[in-house]
Amino acid sequence: MTELAWGAEAWSEVRASLDRCIKCTVCETACPVAAVTELFPGPKTVGPQAERFRTGGQSPDLSVDYCSGCGICSRVCPQDVRIAELNSRARSELKRERGAPLRDQLVARPGLLGRAGRPVAPLFNWAMANSLIRWAGERTIGIHRKAPVPRSTTRTFSYWVGHHVGTRSARRVVYFHGCSTQWYEPHVGQKVTAILEHNGYQVVIPKQDCCGLPLQSNGLFPAARKAVTRLARQLVPDGTSDLPVIASSTSCGLMLKREAREILGADSPELRSVSQRTYDIFEFLLELHQRGELRTDFKPVPLTVAYHAPCQQQNQLIGKPALEILRLIPGLRLVELDRSCCGIAGTYGVKREKYEIAMRVGEPLFADIQAEGPDLVACDSETCRWQISAATGATSVHPLEILHRAYGGS
Amino acid sequence: MGTDAVVLGAGTAGMVAALRLAAAGASVLVLAEGEGGLPLAPAQIDVLGYRPQLILDPLGELGGFLESRPDHPYRLIEAEEVGASLEWFLELSAPLGYTGSPHLNRLQPTALGALRPTCLVPETMAAGDLSGGGSVLVVGLRGFRDFHAPLLAENLSLAHPPSGAEVRARSVEVSLLGDPRDLRPQLLARRLEERPVLAELGREIRSRLEQEELVGMPAVLGLERSHEAWQRLQELVGRPVFEIPTPPPSQPGQRLQQHLFRALRRLGGEVRLGVRATGYRRAGDRLMAVRVVTAAREVEIPADHFVLATGGIGTGGITAGADGELREEVFGARVSRGGAPDQPLVEYMATQPLDRLGVEVDQEQRPLGAGGEPLFQNLWAAGAALAGAEPWREKSGEGISLATGYRAARLAGGARA
Amino acid sequence: MNALDTDVLVIGGGSTGAGVAWDSALRGLHVTLVDRQDFATGTSGRFHGLLHSGGRYAVKDPGSARECAAENRILRQVAADCLEDTGGLFVSTPEDDLEYADRFLAAARAAGMEIEEVPVGVALRDEPRLNPKIRRAFRVQDGSIDSWKMISALLRGAQAHGAKVLPYHKVVKVIRQGDRVEGAVMEDQRTGEEVRVNAGCVVNAAGAWSGQVAQLAGCEVGVRPGKGVMVAINHRLARAVLNRCHLPSDGDIIVPVRTVSVIGTTDHPVADPDDTECSPEEVHQMIEAGELLVPGFKESRALRVWSGSRPLLPKTEGAAGAGDREVSRSHTVLDHGARDGLEGLVTIAGGKFTTLRLMAEDTVDVVVRKLGRGAECRTRTEVLPGSESHHFYWIGNRQQEAESDPPDDPLICECELVSQHDLDTVVARRPNWRLDDIRRALRVGMGPCQGGFCAFRVAGMLHQEGRYGRAEANSALREFVQERWKGVKVISWGAQARQTRLDRWIFEGVYDLEHLPE
Repeated sequence: MTELAWGAEAWSEVRASLDRCIKCTVCETACPVAAVTELFPGPKTVGPQAERFRTGGQSPDLSVDYCSGCGICSRVCPQDVRIAELNSRARSELKRERGAPLRDQLVARPGLLGRAGRPVAPLFNWAMANSLIRWAGERTIGIHRKAPVPRSTTRTFSYWVGHHVGTRSARRVVYFHGCSTQWYEPHVGQKVTAILEHNGYQVVIPKQDCCGLPLQSNGLFPAARKAVTRLARQLVPDGTSDLPVIASSTSCGLMLKREAREILGADSPELRSVSQRTYDIFEFLLELHQRGELRTDFKPVPLTVAYHAPCQQQNQLIGKPALEILRLIPGLRLVELDRSCCGIAGTYGVKREKYEIAMRVGEPLFADIQAEGPDLVACDSETCRWQISAATGATSVHPLEILHRAYGGS
Repeated sequence: MGTDAVVLGAGTAGMVAALRLAAAGASVLVLAEGEGGLPLAPAQIDVLGYRPQLILDPLGELGGFLESRPDHPYRLIEAEEVGASLEWFLELSAPLGYTGSPHLNRLQPTALGALRPTCLVPETMAAGDLSGGGSVLVVGLRGFRDFHAPLLAENLSLAHPPSGAEVRARSVEVSLLGDPRDLRPQLLARRLEERPVLAELGREIRSRLEQEELVGMPAVLGLERSHEAWQRLQELVGRPVFEIPTPPPSQPGQRLQQHLFRALRRLGGEVRLGVRATGYRRAGDRLMAVRVVTAAREVEIPADHFVLATGGIGTGGITAGADGELREEVFGARVSRGGAPDQPLVEYMATQPLDRLGVEVDQEQRPLGAGGEPLFQNLWAAGAALAGAEPWREKSGEGISLATGYRAARLAGGARA
Repeated sequence: MNALDTDVLVIGGGSTGAGVAWDSALRGLHVTLVDRQDFATGTSGRFHGLLHSGGRYAVKDPGSARECAAENRILRQVAADCLEDTGGLFVSTPEDDLEYADRFLAAARAAGMEIEEVPVGVALRDEPRLNPKIRRAFRVQDGSIDSWKMISALLRGAQAHGAKVLPYHKVVKVIRQGDRVEGAVMEDQRTGEEVRVNAGCVVNAAGAWSGQVAQLAGCEVGVRPGKGVMVAINHRLARAVLNRCHLPSDGDIIVPVRTVSVIGTTDHPVADPDDTECSPEEVHQMIEAGELLVPGFKESRALRVWSGSRPLLPKTEGAAGAGDREVSRSHTVLDHGARDGLEGLVTIAGGKFTTLRLMAEDTVDVVVRKLGRGAECRTRTEVLPGSESHHFYWIGNRQQEAESDPPDDPLICECELVSQHDLDTVVARRPNWRLDDIRRALRVGMGPCQGGFCAFRVAGMLHQEGRYGRAEANSALREFVQERWKGVKVISWGAQARQTRLDRWIFEGVYDLEHLPE
């Protein structure tokens, strides 16, 4: 599919939503990026305001690239202007016209990096921890030398799946684990599987590739569209077309739920179907609980855990179900962190020119964590966990790891 | 683990209802399309300022006002309950130092230099009541485009408070943060929380002070640490300092919003933003659940009690179509023009067709259906969603939101008991 | 009374008058141009902004079509900075006769237009909001004109050649010596002072008001003001000008002008050219008509409504009153010497913005003959100030400039991206700016919020700079708010109703404008 200079995507519902902007500035007060840097003039300015000056093929503004895509503006807008989505499209147009740097091409393809790192994981991890190599990386490809990067693993999640003997049950779900589980954090996927099986579900784990979110947030729309359409097909193996699809990565889950359709304008029968059936893992568990079906055979977890709800989880508009589930665990002291964004916004904060901004965005959150001094920080999003750990030194986990522990896991 | 009460709307009325319900022990979920008017509003609590003559005792004159405006939302509430809601607010907002009396309007300068009646103000504005006259040094900040000290001061010097006292004002302009820059209010507020920047401002003002008793400046004195910034500036200047509200965005409004959001969180309530309510489920005369759109699909949120505080035409609680159709968006409640004319008037400063728009309610604040009967036994409306008021002209907005939000919670609580 | 002498006194500062001033000045004549208000406040500042390709007239009025096609080409050469090269499409909607399309194509070619039929699929790809049910599509050389920029460039060009321009100078008396007009007396609308201008020739370029001016000279010009209503939509719905391919009627053009899309227009005779009220019925007629070209048009945000008065001249007037050279079917130069026995006065009537240059050329040809001096017309090739680089402006210009503005140049009007520096530059050009004049010059207050945020800023800044006294600043603000209300009060629905609410809340709630001292 060729990209049109002035294609149908320029005329989406997203663009039409600019008409609802009454310039009230609520978004500008909530934007975590504009609050810390003058390089970003604010969501109203680069969003509905700038959109009136855009045509296909000629992007007049570059500052939209400083939008981190956290989506807070869209959530606080009382007029339902799709501000972050407008920005995302404008960024894509910018990259289409001017080309994306190699760095953006790289960070937008976690599978590529993951595959590259896996066979030589110890070496890769050593290299990532080596300041000289990181410095060279910053100079050559623009990934900030201090930016949080995940540790590669020698055993992928699909390797584990291949050796895992699951329970069989009439109640089945499809598990969408995402790239970070596959390449960097297979233990998250193992625990998701265990929790679901503990609650009597058979977990179908099809072979799956990237959802395209990092491509999208780096403005590489055609590739992102291709990726998410392929993923949607992969998530409907035979006989599963009406099962819930469970996601443990919040941003990738949001991609399937809404962004693929709304921002990328991707469309296929499989995508429409998967989109409707996608659940955040805790959203799913909370519904089980509300129906009285969640097993609550919890062992006490005598820890202080500070919970941060990441932006892309909040953008799912489902509240904070992890918090509600974790509250059921005896002995757990749960602290809700009342801050909006950690700054990383996917791959935004790893870039040389944005690293400092991202760190300033996360500053209030980091300060709260340090003041609290919890045993663990819980956060649903992998990149946010990496950012929080890198910035504060705290150990961060997916909240389901705490649930897993309460169920007796290690 | 169901939700006791769902409040639609996160503006003043919605937050007041939610806080009252949560304080009474209910589990409360506030659902809102976005943030309400709070981060834009001057954060002064208006109760009633003009009828159209200037009002000095809002509660005392409420009865007389209602005689000429029988459709006004205040008709629903006893003056004592209005007073009680304001007393409660004073207590709730003590950390922001709100002060004032529902029986005495204060006259505070606007950004254009009019003297504007309002009732309660935060501590950072308290010294700006010029009812009894006074001499003010109005401080402008170079590069801040939403405050024009010379015009403000000249207009203010012509203000005539009813006391007959004299108001004198002079303006100066101060350069901060190096050369004049585009000082966006958010950034300015943040920078003024830094001690060196504040000290620089204090020095500048002090060196330019003459005989003035008071110092007025744009309301950008910090966001999270405004109390410290304001107090410190007063010490540096050696005079009472007061903030003057600017056009949106409003720092005092954001302070109040954060305060209300946090207070609700402490009581176990939740505010969920970005959520559009699209429909509902009923059983007999009761509302069982509202339907909302999440990222993936529509879901039902059941509750026992519901408050409609989605505002009026400004926030989209009520919409006007090109064909003239007026709609309350969630429940299709009956909409009224509240006595405003059908056709626009040529003169801008007049009551225009949509100015008093809102839902019609029964005496118990329950929105009415097409037939004139309450839509549900367990849905109450509050705030700008109610028909009949012209809050900006008569200076009544926050008072209506406080009183009707407070009362909605009481009515819901009564139903609960 | 101040008095000054000039070769040509031009009455009317719209496109016609400005064109005449530019043309005369280039021919070495001394010109003085006056307008009762600011420039471009009459019809020229109140049209849809279309640079005609000629397509609209191809079938009905081939002469006009030929003129438009030729003038369009010239303006692109000499006035690029005032134009946007949007291109245009004529499309056959389901309600349009397909047979007309054939006649249209033939007539357009005969008129010398550049025209090309494009496959419907291509038209829909280029313009995704276009009605998918269109059956034929033709690409033409339509464009859009920034009328203020054009008139301003013409006047600046004329001034560089010695012309004098006087805004807010209303003609109160035409000076006659027997059967000869020798000049006029103007009253400065701001100071009340009178100025006498003695002129070798007076050109009545008052457009829809030319009847009123002629009356002052004691003769009749049968111009009939025809009111046309237009609605601006908040953003561009199409990249190109969209026209229905049919015999011209109401609401069949959508023109992308700057940040908005303008739909036009209607045609109702009015007695008074200053009658610019728009009725809800007229507005709804436009909105409904838009649906045919762009489905969903009704749901788009209507930003503002206005109307302008066309200076229509009945055919009889043209034929009977033509001087020695009837040059055009679309405009007429009336030599009052030949027509009424009154020398020294020439009226240029009818016409359209696109042909302003030709109208001026024809007019000044008559003037030169009467004065007995003046060179050949040079406007075909002389490039207007600002257009030297031959670059058309484009919609993204201001955004691009705003991006590169230094950080100490704050935006005053965020909707239309007007900076402090832009404001300073414009107000330095002359004294006595009304906020509405600044709006025309810079588009301040013309965006979604209709002045809700910027009007206060501009008034405050002009006061701070000493250009306004206190009372003046207050009344300028009140006047502006009142003027903006005029254009939104009949479209109080949807997002604009919400905007109106926010604006009122700011003006009356935050500032308490209603209780401000006079």
